[in-house]
Amino acid sequence: MIEYRDVYKAFDVPVLSGVSFTVETGETLAILGPSGTGKSVLLKTTIGLIVPDAGDVFIDGQSVFAADANQLQTLRRKAGYVFQNAALFDSMNVFENVAYGLPEGALKKLGRREVTRRVARSLEEVNLDPSVVLTKLPAELSGGMRKRVGLARAIVGEPQILLYDEPVTGLDPVNAVAVDRLITDIAERTHVTSIVVTHDVEGALSISDRVSLLEGGKLRFLGTPDEFRRSADPLVRAFADRQAAVEAALAGSARSSRMADAKTPVLP
Amino acid sequence: MMMTKRAPGLVRAIGGVGATVARHAGGMGILAWRTLAALVRGQVSLRDFTGQLFAMGVQSLPLVLVTSVLSGIVTSQQGGYQFTGSIPLYVLGSVVTSSVVLELGPVLTAVVVIGRVGARITAELGTMQVSEQIDALYSLGRDPVKVLAAPRILAGMPAMVLLVGISNLVGVLAGMLAARLTVGLGHATFFYGARLFWHSYDFFYSEMKAWAFGLLIPLISVHMGLLTRGGAEGVGRSTTASVVFMIIAVLVCDALFPPLFLN
Ligand SMILES: Nc1ncnc2c1ncn2[C@@H]1O[C@H](COP(=O)(O)OP(=O)(O)OP(=O)(O)O)[C@@H](O)[C@H]1O
Ligand SMILES: [Mg+2]
Repeated sequence: MIEYRDVYKAFDVPVLSGVSFTVETGETLAILGPSGTGKSVLLKTTIGLIVPDAGDVFIDGQSVFAADANQLQTLRRKAGYVFQNAALFDSMNVFENVAYGLPEGALKKLGRREVTRRVARSLEEVNLDPSVVLTKLPAELSGGMRKRVGLARAIVGEPQILLYDEPVTGLDPVNAVAVDRLITDIAERTHVTSIVVTHDVEGALSISDRVSLLEGGKLRFLGTPDEFRRSADPLVRAFADRQAAVEAALAGSARSSRMADAKTPVLP
Repeated sequence: MMMTKRAPGLVRAIGGVGATVARHAGGMGILAWRTLAALVRGQVSLRDFTGQLFAMGVQSLPLVLVTSVLSGIVTSQQGGYQFTGSIPLYVLGSVVTSSVVLELGPVLTAVVVIGRVGARITAELGTMQVSEQIDALYSLGRDPVKVLAAPRILAGMPAMVLLVGISNLVGVLAGMLAARLTVGLGHATFFYGARLFWHSYDFFYSEMKAWAFGLLIPLISVHMGLLTRGGAEGVGRSTTASVVFMIIAVLVCDALFPPLFLN
């Protein structure tokens, strides 16, 4: 179980202003929201990569920000994190990157054969051919391939918690669906607790137990996919339904062009 | 009048610099302490350490050889020019040996290592920081100090000791050769002069500098690398700042050596 308790974080401007919610064990929660509202920041606070100004996160009752270095390391090992930009180690090849997702000293404990087997299996799960990519460096991969290697690195250690930051952004439709299915597969198979930050609303609605919408530093909506589809909130509507999004975008540009008319034009 | 008006600003500026230096020194102290702790607990990978030792020591060797040969030749020629007629030429042997061993060997080697290794470490760790690779390490339950900082910091000292030793030897030999070719000073006379003023302590003094520089350079470069924020531009900024800090630190440290260790 992951519990966010009144998380505040400001950089130059407030980003998170009192976010509280709980993700149950085995649950998959999607977080939607406009670009730049702090979804990645929120996800990073989960394992203490960003320290909030106030508030705390509890993983299975253990506070992340009261934890000492060793406890924090143990907490982090419970979780797999898929970074928005993959964050692969660029001095290491794909094999070494994915093998890094196994616990420290795995090579000694499990043997090279077993490590290779687990790495290959994770790569296959994300639809990559181990015989092709294993010895490649991250720089030699496409963006979508890097993303999936990052996913393989996060799942190879079979964590109890998976935190995905836009796992399908930048993937072709086939691979996006494959990754969505992988997320549900893992959730069903291993009863993992998952949080998925995404802009892919349809994917989010199909893979998650509950959906949330982060906006203006707060959770504006939190409910089941059905409740999300039926919500009357205009922003939720804009996310749930393409037609509403078009109308919202048009209203937004009409407003800004009226503002531009009122002042002198800013830029050609 | 001008002075009294300006003084507070100047004092504040000096205070600001002092505070910045203190903050960085504190950060580096913690880094050194945690590296030591990792070493004592046997948490530093031998493979990473030897890799860094190779990159710092062996790969810097060609450039160190070039600077040592040149520094030996230059000191020898300059001394030979100054001594013509007045001072007995065998003193040249002592001048070259002392200049190279006490000053030029350690300092020029440090400058080479700052450019080749220090800058690389800051840029490398800075890039890892801004591309979230450091965060990725944390997320996998690893400690960047153990994985990245410790092997680099620990490899700096042996690498510098090795390089300075070689640099001293090569510099003196090059000076000797240059003395023979330019002012016709024979090897035997050169050595006679060198031995006349030689203390075996000089060698330890030189290698003590090597230890000090070998600690400072990777400590500053790792520290600055991990502090990097803000994309490719940030990496450029912190690399420049790091090189400046390293050069100042090495020169200040070098200036502190005579009062502390020579009487
Ligand atoms: N390390 C940081 N330093 C300063 N500001 C930051 C930092 N990280 C994030 N921010 C700011 O916090 C805000 C939220 O960023 P965040 O990356 O969480 O957005 P996001 O919701 O993930 O957006 P996107 O959907 O585009 O990924 C942004 O305004 C960003 O500029
Ligand atoms: Mg984001």
